[in-house]
Amino acid sequence: MRKAVWSGVATAAAVLMMSSVAFAQAASDTKTVNVTAAVNAKAKLTLGSNAAAFADADPDVTPLLSATAISIDIKARTSAAGNVTLTVQSGGDLVSGSDSIAINQLTWTVTGTNFAAGTMSKTAAVSVGSWAGSGTPSGTQTYKLANSWSYNTGSYTATITYTLSAP
Amino acid sequence: MSVRRRLAFVLLAWSAAAPAARAAGQPATATLSATISPQASLTLSTASLVFPDADPDVLNKVPATGGPVTINAKARATQGQAVVLTVLASSDLRSGLDVIPASNVTWTASGAGFVAGTLSATVPAQVATWTGSGLHSGSQQYFFRNVWTHPTGTYTTTLVYTLSAP
Repeated sequence: MRKAVWSGVATAAAVLMMSSVAFAQAASDTKTVNVTAAVNAKAKLTLGSNAAAFADADPDVTPLLSATAISIDIKARTSAAGNVTLTVQSGGDLVSGSDSIAINQLTWTVTGTNFAAGTMSKTAAVSVGSWAGSGTPSGTQTYKLANSWSYNTGSYTATITYTLSAP
Repeated sequence: MSVRRRLAFVLLAWSAAAPAARAAGQPATATLSATISPQASLTLSTASLVFPDADPDVLNKVPATGGPVTINAKARATQGQAVVLTVLASSDLRSGLDVIPASNVTWTASGAGFVAGTLSATVPAQVATWTGSGLHSGSQQYFFRNVWTHPTGTYTTTLVYTLSAP
């Protein structure tokens, strides 16, 4: 009788062990890591040339002198709603000694998305283009100079400043 | 050995053997059992990753400051079963309404069983896998893809590491 009882206990224990193995739960552990990435505003402007030259020409034949196109490459990082702007302003009129040609005789045409044609000014920055949000727009700008019989001869120069802004 | 001492020794031996002698007629067994269940323990060297701002033309992949994340994994698993370590982003990187996909975060890895990968906010990415029980260590170096087209902001998300031992 006792033998039968012990045998039953042993069997029950074995069954219990087997069942505990069979129903063993998979184990897992989790950990968290907080991530922060800083993306700040940046603006980078690259001009294909830092000089625009106009060759002399007969005003009747070429009333509008044209310089070689300048490529403009922009890289700007701003907020999603930020407005990236590119402007130009001349430091003064075109001068040759004491002679001058009004800087508003200088105009430009453009290619490229959101680039804008315009007329140069020495008193206010003029838009060359504007874009919404971050990006890398590119285009070209071709300067034109009105050619007039009234100009005094000379070699005229002016310095133009480009400003790219990404708020 | 004196006679007295010899007698005392015999009596002592008899008294010790007597219960065993009585039990000899009633055999019994005792089962010793030990339960070894799956266990998993994960330790990371840091609880934060920071990617500083950088010029995309200079650094197109920005490494996290502080260097690699050191990972120690302890697992007790069923023999032949795979122990797996995964990481899942709780969401894409967010800064207010602006979003940078989690896939812009990648990592390289060192250590046996560890693999390089790309972060996801939808599917757990495998960081490492091993077979059976053991202690494992390795490291992950995280990188943030740095491009001009990202909107400015301070982007955050949370990584959830899960070590599973079946």
